[in-house]
Amino acid sequence: MSLRPGTFVSFVAHDLRLGARGFAAIFGALPARRVAAILVAALVGLHLVAWPAALWFGGHESGADGDRFLTAAMRSGVFFVLPWVVATAMTAVTRMLYQRGDLDLLFASPIFPRDALAARLFAQAIEAVASVGLLLLPLADACALQGRPHWLALYPALFACGLFGAGLGLMLALALFFAVGPRRARAISQIGATLVGASAVLGAQIVAMLPNSARTWLFDALAFNSGGDALRRLATLPERAAGGEPAALVGWMALALAMFVAAVLVFGGGFARAALQSAGAPSSPGRARTGTRFRARLGPTLRLKEHRLLWRDPWLLSQIMLQVLYTLPVGGILWRNGGATGTAGIAFAPTLVVIAGQLAGSLAWIALSAEDAPEFLATAPVTRGEIERGKLAAIALPVAAIMTPPLFALAFVSAWDAFCALGCGVGASLSAALLMLWRQKPARRGLVLRRHSQSKLVALLEHWLSLLWAVATGVAVFGSAACVVPIALVGLTLWLIRPAAPLGDLRSASAINANASPARADIEVRAG
Amino acid sequence: MPSDPTPALVLRALTKRFARPAVDSLDLTVRAGEFYALLGPNGAGKSTTLRMVAGLLPADSGEIHIFGIDARRQPIAAKRIVAWLPDEPQLYDKLDPLEYLEFVAGLWGLEPRRAAESAESLLQTLGLWEHRRERCEGFSRGMKQKVALAGALVHEPRLLMLDEPLTGLDAGSARQVKNLLTARVREGATIILTTHILEVAERIADRVGILAHGRLIAEGTLAELRVAGGGCASLEDLFLDLIAAEGRAA
Repeated sequence: MSLRPGTFVSFVAHDLRLGARGFAAIFGALPARRVAAILVAALVGLHLVAWPAALWFGGHESGADGDRFLTAAMRSGVFFVLPWVVATAMTAVTRMLYQRGDLDLLFASPIFPRDALAARLFAQAIEAVASVGLLLLPLADACALQGRPHWLALYPALFACGLFGAGLGLMLALALFFAVGPRRARAISQIGATLVGASAVLGAQIVAMLPNSARTWLFDALAFNSGGDALRRLATLPERAAGGEPAALVGWMALALAMFVAAVLVFGGGFARAALQSAGAPSSPGRARTGTRFRARLGPTLRLKEHRLLWRDPWLLSQIMLQVLYTLPVGGILWRNGGATGTAGIAFAPTLVVIAGQLAGSLAWIALSAEDAPEFLATAPVTRGEIERGKLAAIALPVAAIMTPPLFALAFVSAWDAFCALGCGVGASLSAALLMLWRQKPARRGLVLRRHSQSKLVALLEHWLSLLWAVATGVAVFGSAACVVPIALVGLTLWLIRPAAPLGDLRSASAINANASPARADIEVRAG
Repeated sequence: MPSDPTPALVLRALTKRFARPAVDSLDLTVRAGEFYALLGPNGAGKSTTLRMVAGLLPADSGEIHIFGIDARRQPIAAKRIVAWLPDEPQLYDKLDPLEYLEFVAGLWGLEPRRAAESAESLLQTLGLWEHRRERCEGFSRGMKQKVALAGALVHEPRLLMLDEPLTGLDAGSARQVKNLLTARVREGATIILTTHILEVAERIADRVGILAHGRLIAEGTLAELRVAGGGCASLEDLFLDLIAAEGRAA
């Protein structure tokens, strides 16, 4: 049955179809039936994993402190889900404003911009809750199957959370837009959304780092329920709804719907105005400078260009730094645990090495695969090898700048540990960069965090090399010569994956397409 | 006027195949100091030919000589004197025009002071000087095209190849670009241009070559082509007649 065009439902269906196709693209060219089989298997797998977790929850729920436990669990869930949905909505609104996509088409058509915005935001809310629902809903199903049907309230509560978060995200994004102007809003909102989204993950990691006494205090604080005044009852509405309290569920859904509708009605016009203002506006202001920096040498020219492009893309920078941010609490835990045994570096040094490898991999991918003007560079009177060496030299500086402070900190604890981390960090960075050099695949810079979906093999190899370097670091910190074994395995891996074509062919500027990736081959075919 | 006896570009039996031959044993000679327009319908092999000359596509067989330099054997030496401007300008959105030209100058290893003077002169001529500190991401298609053209000219190439250079330009900008190009030819540069706007070729090209199915089916000055075409009134009539005849023959 086809939907009537131009209606709210048809717009939602259109946006969800685009979202689904984007998701399906992760699976590459796999046939639809195989993708469906993978998804069903994943769903079954998630339920199997959720089953013991549900048993654990059940044990606590039936205990003497059951109600308090449920309150704490649901409240934590809200703290986790709501920021995520708000952050996703903020990013989506910003993206809508700046990347525009089909916005011009929609605004040029005889529909109210508010209707298009409402539909897009609704679809966004569904997509955002679907991503967290993948983790939470199997748990709800397992709990219900184990005889606790009130957990099924998670379904409508989560949906309401999506609507509420999308409305709030729209308000925040547009408020920011009008507060700081179109030129700065994009960078700030994207970084803000990234941090809000990361706060959930970081929060969970920080909680894991806390000592037992602090965790008990936190549990008590989360489970605290005076239940008295109206304001508190309103604030606890989402968690009570998720806990299966019927009146709270109805109230939460009504509140979420009201928030969504109000946001669209109040800010719909503002969105249209913002879209008009953002058309053609640069993402961030250019900084006036005096004098020129013409130089005749290739290396400094390439370094300057790479650093400028990186520094002027705060969103990209925040995505890269997020990798470091996510790993820091783990490093902290390892430091603390290692510190208890008197050898902090055994755990912390490998963490630093893994971070160095990840950073170098991301930056090398940006410089090599996400080059904005590859064909222009290929027409320059320099060899491809010279350009690649210049780019790799350019990424070395940011990696060194980020890794130096923690290495210094480690050096204060143990100079030997820091030395091992430095040596293996350099090795991990080099091997990640070589992998990116040998397995280039053209893509847009913004896809840096999704680069692993480009090639599962490269992703696997990157993790494998990181793991080997981490093991080598750990063994080296112990002072064992056995660290050469993982390092030798790194060498063997790199030797096995080295390009099949002789280096001379790859380096020849005229043979840019000799090792053509599918995308480049496609360019070749279209060129005729 | 042309003064260098060595041809700017000589292609001999140049061939490139994809699923079908895109360039089919092409022979072409462009004289030094000439403004040469390469015309042809979509898929005729114009872009493929220029991309092979620019070193972006390896040829399957044949020879490419640029001012006597064998471009297949000495690609770097050839690239030093060549510029290529694609129909889609390849720029860095986060750089401003002056930074872009600094980057190009560094790639070509230009002496900094000379490069700075050349960059300023080009940006002034193309009406971009007031925008020299604005990032390219906010530019219109036409402005981006002009920045890319400045990048192609800043190293003063002896052979300039332009693929649809007037796409996206308004009338005023198109006039600026045409004036700049004809001035470069007067100064001794050689330009090969592909275009679908036949009036442009008719007005500014010294000679015209027409490609179809990867082969050169006609070549000459406009007057020569008119004679060969039985006195066709315009280049457009001539072009359409030739393409139709080629289609029937194929």
